[in-house]
Amino acid sequence: MALMLRRGKKPSPEVSLWQDAWRRLRRNRLAVLGGLVIIALGLAAAFADAIAPYHYTKANFLHAYEFPNRDFPLGTDPLGRDMLSRLIYGARVSMLVGFVAQLMVVSIGVPIGALAGYYGGTVDLLIMRGVDVMYAFPRLLFVILIMAMLGAGLLNIFIAIGLTGWVNIARLTRAQILALKAQEFSEGARAVGASGPRVLCRHLLPNALSPIIVAVTFGIPEAIFTEAALSFIGVGINPPTASWGQMVGEYQQYILSYWYLCVFPSAAIAVTMLSFTFVGDGVRDALDPKLRD
Amino acid sequence: MLDHAQQRLLETRLASIGVGRRDFLRLLAGMTTAGSMFLTTAVPTVHAAPAPGDKLAKVQVFRRGDFNDEPASFDINKDLYCGCEFTVFAGLMRFTPDFVAVPWMAEHVESNADGSVWTFRLRKEAKWSNGEALTAHDFAWSWKRQLDPATAAPYSAFLYDLKNAEAFNKGQITARDAVGVKALDDRTLQATLEGPRSYFPVLVAYYAALPAHRPSVEKYGDKWTEATNIVSNGPWVLEGWGHNQQFTLKKNPHYFDRDHITLERVVVPILPRAAGLLPYENNEVDYALVPPGDLRRLQADANVSQQVSRYFYPGTFYLVPQVVAPPFDHLKVRRAVSHAIDRRIIAERVSQGFGIPAHGMIPPGLPGHFDDEALQQLQRFDPKLALESLKGTPYEGGKHWPKIAISMRDEPYAAKPMAEALQAMLQDVLHMPTELEVLEPRVFRERLWKQDLQLIWIRWFMDYPDPHNEYFDTFYGKRTTGKRQAWSNEVFDDLITKARGELDPQTRMALYRQAEEVLQAHVGYVPVVWTVRYVAFKPWVKGLPRNKAGHIVPDGNIYRGMLEHIYIVEH
Repeated sequence: MALMLRRGKKPSPEVSLWQDAWRRLRRNRLAVLGGLVIIALGLAAAFADAIAPYHYTKANFLHAYEFPNRDFPLGTDPLGRDMLSRLIYGARVSMLVGFVAQLMVVSIGVPIGALAGYYGGTVDLLIMRGVDVMYAFPRLLFVILIMAMLGAGLLNIFIAIGLTGWVNIARLTRAQILALKAQEFSEGARAVGASGPRVLCRHLLPNALSPIIVAVTFGIPEAIFTEAALSFIGVGINPPTASWGQMVGEYQQYILSYWYLCVFPSAAIAVTMLSFTFVGDGVRDALDPKLRD
Repeated sequence: MLDHAQQRLLETRLASIGVGRRDFLRLLAGMTTAGSMFLTTAVPTVHAAPAPGDKLAKVQVFRRGDFNDEPASFDINKDLYCGCEFTVFAGLMRFTPDFVAVPWMAEHVESNADGSVWTFRLRKEAKWSNGEALTAHDFAWSWKRQLDPATAAPYSAFLYDLKNAEAFNKGQITARDAVGVKALDDRTLQATLEGPRSYFPVLVAYYAALPAHRPSVEKYGDKWTEATNIVSNGPWVLEGWGHNQQFTLKKNPHYFDRDHITLERVVVPILPRAAGLLPYENNEVDYALVPPGDLRRLQADANVSQQVSRYFYPGTFYLVPQVVAPPFDHLKVRRAVSHAIDRRIIAERVSQGFGIPAHGMIPPGLPGHFDDEALQQLQRFDPKLALESLKGTPYEGGKHWPKIAISMRDEPYAAKPMAEALQAMLQDVLHMPTELEVLEPRVFRERLWKQDLQLIWIRWFMDYPDPHNEYFDTFYGKRTTGKRQAWSNEVFDDLITKARGELDPQTRMALYRQAEEVLQAHVGYVPVVWTVRYVAFKPWVKGLPRNKAGHIVPDGNIYRGMLEHIYIVEH
């Protein structure tokens, strides 16, 4: 109903849904904190070449396994590579996976869900049974299977996450479209002669956006974690490219002797996940019409 | 020319693994004597007599913590990499801690004049664990069982030196009796070979020649090595086997030398590799292999460092450039790679002491080990020369490299950091970008044998201490099974075929030396490090076997006999 208000007589004071959501998001301290961390990570990833003290492949065999010190603030790995630099470059992989994979998920899931929801009938039946089949697979197992077929690599991770992640979004979109389709404004649009695709794209999808946005904000950390998990077990990204999951996987065996090798990348994964989750929570609350003040 | 620094390096290297030069030469000479060869029982009884002052613990149980994977079975006769404890069975020969083959179930071994027919006389006291006599028929049957195509033993090629073995194994002949092994009587086994093979006793000391208990195999089929069914002839018998948890061994009451064994029972939990040293540090096991990540910490601790011993695990890590695909189809590129690798850095810095620089296939202290000046020069580390070697190739100046993947199997002991170091060196010196793919062992082996990999980071752990194992079983160009590289070379093949039948040890080793040179000059492979490992024993474990140089020799890929020496003192 909240969505309808915007389209009906001007509510007062005049605040659009998005302005209101933005205002409430800003008031959520945790979400702001998470957002700042994400922005910082994004900048670090984008300008890694300028920020990182060393290149991520720069081996320095005389300084292997060094404890954090002035030259190497987070220590060095078994090849004497600077851990800080590798973490910064690792952010690049994580951010790319988070956003690009989620873009793929959305671009597959939303159209499929919208079609199923709008056209209903046999189309819906076929698509949704397909979705059910996909749902029956444990997600991570499915991703590992695809990676095993395609081989390791960043592009293949996008594909694997995209191919397995769209089902959730498709279901969500379908449910939204189903509900909106029955409402007066969409009937009105049809009554004045708008074509099916036009109703779908101009009238239904924009109104279904907020739950999709919430799903995406939670999908990003999931994708990041999936990449970390894949690299942890060694089917994600190949060396020498730096990936947090790979670092944790490789250095966990050194935990008693060189704890810093796996603690810092683990912390990086944890902080990133937490930040995205805070932002996701904030966005969800901000877009929730029931919580509107 | 060997300058002083290098000479000293070589000396310390040899000494560090407990091998004096004289030892090595004597070992060589002792292996074979010209003309008819025979060996009689002179098993050095260095068996566990508790040292004076040691008070034996009442319970003689040893908990070993070096099994990371559940054994597939205990049927070594069928699958010698089944991953079980080998000394549940005993062969005709065995290796001493100095890696010399000596009679074990046999008491006398003799060959005809040219070394093509070998006769083994079994000990009278040799018995199976159910009290039955162990006979020559058991060995003849077992070897044929392994070669029988119906058994589908994956590593049966180790027995191909027996006459007609290969033809029988490949189904070209079906006559079982044509295979060159037969029992002349209950105590005499005669092996007729394809030709002169001076190393045959060494091969017989290897696990490929272990027996299986015929009545059990016939009664229980694939289940004959379950704890309730198994009958074996080694110092130990399988007492219990809780699958995926642990198995226990107890002393074989019918083993001929049982009175010299102090341990009563051995408990072997299957520990996931990720557990690292924790089970040992929590006192759940008495013995563990030390992972690279923990070594420095243990060594820094005054108490614990006493429990750690360095030992030599005969094996070689090396790179194989696949010569059939670009860029490694260019000999110049392969040479460039061989000059771009700083073995000293990899051994000392990256492997964390788990390797020593290698300039050949065979590690120090073993017959066929060559590490002379000429060999060291062939693939010496020289970044300038490496880059210059690319002149005249499409990659001159380190440019225009195609996509290159280094492939390795997922394995422990610093294999991956070493591979990453190789990546860094190739990038640094040749500006060659590479990707490292770590493959699951089974996938790796399949693709390896299809010669489907481009640049391979791999190791060869010696099976038996004879150069035939390194050169023939690995690099022989006309191999039909388990061939790792596409590289093959007529001259090389001729040399090792000649060496196989050569009886004079010096001439034989000279042939292998030439073969190694051909192999390296064509860069059929790039040796990088010889492997070293570390074990930790709790202070109450005593009587560990030692080699002549006085160094501890725990169970490894060649020597397997630690359990017969160990005893537990009060603690």
